[in-house]
Amino acid sequence: MPLVRFTPGSDPVNGLLALQSELERFLRNPGFNLGLSGYGAYPPLNIFDDGDGMVVIAEVPGLDPASIQITSQGRTLTISGERRREKLDGQASFHRRERALGQFSRSIQIPEHVDLQKTSASYEAGLLKLRIPRSEASKPRQISIEPVERR
Amino acid sequence: MATTDLTTREKQPVPGKEQTRPGRFFQPEVDICEYDHEMRLWVDMPGVRDQDVNVMLEGGVLTIEGQVAPALYEKLSPIYTEYNVGNYLRQFTLNESIEESGITASMRNGVLELKLPKAEKARPRRIEVTAH
Repeated sequence: MPLVRFTPGSDPVNGLLALQSELERFLRNPGFNLGLSGYGAYPPLNIFDDGDGMVVIAEVPGLDPASIQITSQGRTLTISGERRREKLDGQASFHRRERALGQFSRSIQIPEHVDLQKTSASYEAGLLKLRIPRSEASKPRQISIEPVERR
Repeated sequence: MATTDLTTREKQPVPGKEQTRPGRFFQPEVDICEYDHEMRLWVDMPGVRDQDVNVMLEGGVLTIEGQVAPALYEKLSPIYTEYNVGNYLRQFTLNESIEESGITASMRNGVLELKLPKAEKARPRRIEVTAH
């Protein structure tokens, strides 16, 4: 597990710089296997450890939160939805069309130590955030030695 | 697995001039469409909260700036990353004259929508030809 934890202080500029260099360090980290769909698939995502499990954040702006589908099967987590074009009023001519709009579906492989059944999701500022807590079985446990009874 | 329509494009850093503020700036992706009476823009700025957007129009140059909220990543240590974060900046020179007082901007789920009404003189007008 990583030892460095990002905590923005009172200084927003240094907070952002620290976050940027942290994210850079783990860019396409080959030590982590996403399985089915790797880098380049939509939406782009970052995976974190929050001390109590895993957090997956996808940059996918402009969604209707009710239309986002999150499903899990075995160790596979799937996020799907559609980025729709905003309603246009009649005749319009486009000067630029750069935004990625359309349907998407991305599946990734989740490690053994987290419990996919307990995944919770939130959507804010165009970021889809999934929290997957650590499974009970993976938490460290102290095993005590039972005293041997003397006869 | 099946990514139907979309692929991820790497964020593009803002080219050219150096920023006074440190850190990365990215160029947000935009759609621009034009109507007879207005220009409309949509700007994708994931990670920017509704109140952290600045839109300025000065000397025919439209500047759009979004401050990313590092707090959205608070107390998280990366394991694997595919995108970096940074503030967004984009500038356009407008060919049309815009009725500045009528500009409206709204930010929702990381997408900024801008409506720039054209000034009366910039709107296309049909000129009737009178027959003699």
